[in-house]
Order: sequence, then structure tokens, then C-alpha cells
Amino acid sequence: MNIATYKKCLFGILSAFVVLFAVETGFSGQGDVIETYKNATAPFDDEKLVDPVLSVSENTVLVNTKYQGGLFRTQTRKDKIQRFACSQCHNNQEVKIPKAAEMAHGDINLVHGGQEKPLQCFTCHKKDERDLLVTEKGVTVDMDHSYQLCGQCHFRQKKDWVGGAHGKRVSHWAGKRVVRNCTSCHDPHSPRFEKQWPSTYSLPLD
Amino acid sequence: MKQPKNNDCQNQKENKPGRTKKCGRRDFLKGAAKVAAMGSFAMVSGCGSELLASGEKRKLQWEEFFKTNYRIMTQQEKDATIARLERLAKIKKDVNIQMSSKAPIPGVLYGYAFNVTRCEGFMECVSACVKENNLDRKSKTQYIRIFEMEPGKMAPESGNGKYFHEVPVKDHFYMGVQCYHCDNPPCVKACPTQATWKEPDGIVVVDYNWCIGCRYCMAACPYYGRRFNWHDPVVPVKEMTKKQHYLGNRMRARGQMEKCTFCVQRTREGRLPACVEACPTGSRVFGNLLDPKSEIRFVLKNKKVFRLKEELATDPKFWYFID
Repeated sequence: MNIATYKKCLFGILSAFVVLFAVETGFSGQGDVIETYKNATAPFDDEKLVDPVLSVSENTVLVNTKYQGGLFRTQTRKDKIQRFACSQCHNNQEVKIPKAAEMAHGDINLVHGGQEKPLQCFTCHKKDERDLLVTEKGVTVDMDHSYQLCGQCHFRQKKDWVGGAHGKRVSHWAGKRVVRNCTSCHDPHSPRFEKQWPSTYSLPLD
Repeated sequence: MKQPKNNDCQNQKENKPGRTKKCGRRDFLKGAAKVAAMGSFAMVSGCGSELLASGEKRKLQWEEFFKTNYRIMTQQEKDATIARLERLAKIKKDVNIQMSSKAPIPGVLYGYAFNVTRCEGFMECVSACVKENNLDRKSKTQYIRIFEMEPGKMAPESGNGKYFHEVPVKDHFYMGVQCYHCDNPPCVKACPTQATWKEPDGIVVVDYNWCIGCRYCMAACPYYGRRFNWHDPVVPVKEMTKKQHYLGNRMRARGQMEKCTFCVQRTREGRLPACVEACPTGSRVFGNLLDPKSEIRFVLKNKKVFRLKEELATDPKFWYFID
């Protein structure tokens, strides 16, 4: 073999390496973020990032269930109900004021459960203890912990809510986790959001 | 007759209408030099009318003119320019702004997820974004765009981006687009002055003062994520967000590029971006990708997610997911 053939061979091998290198660097950019976050398994301490007083400024309550990061809090409900406690009127004695039900609860529009199986008041409210809610299995539930009641049927949403794919945090992504309760966003009596006009509009793209 | 002292061409003509001598080249050059000197002085001090402004304002603007790129500023220089900008805002518009230059938090990489099943197109996010980021009201600049989509479609350009009717419409879904803060951002590569870059926490930012307004980044972005200021943004002083960040919602000027910054002025303090906080349906999930317990990681692990134009290898940190 003469030198010219050697040179040709060498050139071929070298150029093959160059092409391989270029291809590898070209494709290694793909999916970097996915690899980065998948490799990030060390716990991240974000509680010191945010003033703890700030993130728990609203009235919140500790949730009975844990999420992937431990305990978390949710917004309360009872302090947002105008006429709580219910036992002020609904106690041992019968309510004798005429038209009391209409006056006190006339604003409630019950659209929950669909046409085939519409919910009644006492599907959720406990009949003999009006300050509480009750599940299908007869377990009493505090109104601040309404997620336990909603979660009987909407178990998929509850799972997502606990994990963080349904609902939302109140104001901070860091610090102690405080999320909105079911009833912070949904009206429990007609949970579907009503149609409305968008708050603004966009101009056409030029 | 006495010769006029100043040799200005025009004067000569007026004083001696009978003379037919044309204006000399020398005279013309002298006049031109005078005008040029005045013009350049007016340029460095802002514009003509500002010649009358206070000495302090002129001094501050002069110093602002010679500041360097944010990335090579020392902390001292950053503090100095922020103090100048705060003072200038006070002098010019009589507003008290609080500007920050807060650095990225170590161990944080921001990620975003958008639930296409939940979004109902109320556009609260757009309004909140406009307000938070002091976007131009005159040209209706918006960082976020919501598209009303036909079922089965995935590409936002097939949807209706300018709807204005009661929402949600039956059998339609809504898809929000904005800057995706790509991990491999093409806009950054396109910038000839290095006025835009990716911060260590993954946010792609712009140093507005270093932007020359060439709009190469706008052309390079495959997602239409960037916006250009064709004129000075108009924001009523009453509605202005006073809490600002140097790389975020501080006031831009004509000829500068701007974009979503994941509300850097909020997120670096642990708060949610304005769009996430405003969303009434909880379609928007924001968090730290490097935190295994964060909501965004839960979504990525448990939901069906996709990204737009993944084949371009821009590696966006913005996922869409369905319930």
C-alpha cells in the first residue's frame, strides 16, 4: 500500500469521527430539561425563602391528607359563610318563623349531580347536626375540611388536588404550601363555573 | 455699507438682495457644523424640550447613558442604576417605584404547566399580566394569548386568538401561549448585542437598555413569544405596578424588545406569577422543577403532558397537560 491510500483511509476515518461528533452534539441538546429535573431528587428547602407569616396570612387549616411533600394547609370555609353557625337557628327547637327557609336560603341554586341523580340538601348536610356535613358512609365532616366530602365522588380531582394538578396555591410557589379549598373556587351548590364574558380581548396578529 | 458681522448665508442674502453672489461652500459648512453640534447635544440629553429640564435630571440621564450591560455590572453599579431609575421616575412622572435587582435563588429552575382541559378562556390571566408588567395600553400589548380551539386540534395557530364572546363555548377548548423560557432559546442566539440571555433559574430576560431593537430575536422565536415597542409604552401612573425588577416590569422605551419574564419581580420573592395568581380555574401550575415535592413535578409525573414544537429542540420549560 502506498502513502496515498493511507492518506485516503485516514481522511475517511477522521471525517467519520467529525460527523459522529457533530451528530452527537446536535442531538444532546434535546430533552435536557427533562433529564435535569429527573435527576433532581434531593429535597429542596424552600421554607426559608419566604416569610412564613406572609404565606399563612389567611385563615387556614391543616389538611388531614399528606401530599408528596408532607403536611399542607388549605383555606377555611366556616368564616366565609354568612350565617354560620347553622345551629343558631337549627337547634333542638323547630324553626317557627314563616318563610324562614326562603329568607335564609333563597339564594341557593342547587345544580349539582346532574339530571339523573340530583343532590338534595341532606346528601351532604347532616340532618340532626347542621353545623356538620356527612358522607355517604355516615362519617361526619367539618365544613373547613369539605374536600373529604367532595372527594367521595370526585376522587380523581381530590387526588390531583392533593398532588397539585387541580386547584391552586394561594399566593406563593415557595414556602409552606397553602392551597385553595374546593369551596374557595366552586360554589358547592352549583359547582360548575358560569359562562361569562372574557375580561379582555386580543388584537389580531399582524 | 457695513458688512454684517455674522457671515450667515441667509443674512447676507436678506441684507443685500441686489447681490447675486451665491452662498459660499465655507459658509454652508460653518452653518452645518453649528446645527450638527446643537443636534448632538440635544440627542445625548434626551431631546430638544428636555434641554430645559432640571440639572439633576440631565445628570442622571447622562450617567444612565453610559451604564454597562446588566450581566457585567457589579452590585454597586446595579444599586447605582436602580437609584437613578427610581429618582428619574420620581422626577419625570412623580411616581415612587421600588426597583430590585434580586439575584436568582440557587437550586431553582422554574417550570410551568397549563391545563388545556380546565382553561375556560376567561382571560383573567391576560388582564393581570398587562397590569403587573406595565404593558403598553395604547397598542394593547399582551404577553399571553388565549386561543379558542376546535376539538382535536393541537396547534394554537389553528385556533381563534381574537374571540370576544361569552365563554366557554361548547365543544371548544382554550389554550394559552406565552414565552416558554426555552432551555435552548433560539432568541438568545439571535441577539447581536447579547441583550438577552437565560438566567440560572431558567428565566429568559432582556436588558432593555442594551436592546438595539433589531427584532432578530422576534424572528428567531418559533412561538411568537416576544413583543416590540413601536412607541413609548403608555401606562397610566395610577395603574402602574410600583414594585419592579430591573430585568422585569420596569418601564421600557420605544424601540426595545420585551417579553414574559415569569414575573421575575414576584417569583424571585417566592410569589406566584400574576397569571397564575389571577387564574380563576386553576389551569396554571407553576413551581420549581428541581424540587421533587413541587406541584409542577407532580404534573409532569402523573399527567399526560406535551410541549409545543418539541422537534425544534428548543426545550421549552412550559408543558401542556390534560386531565
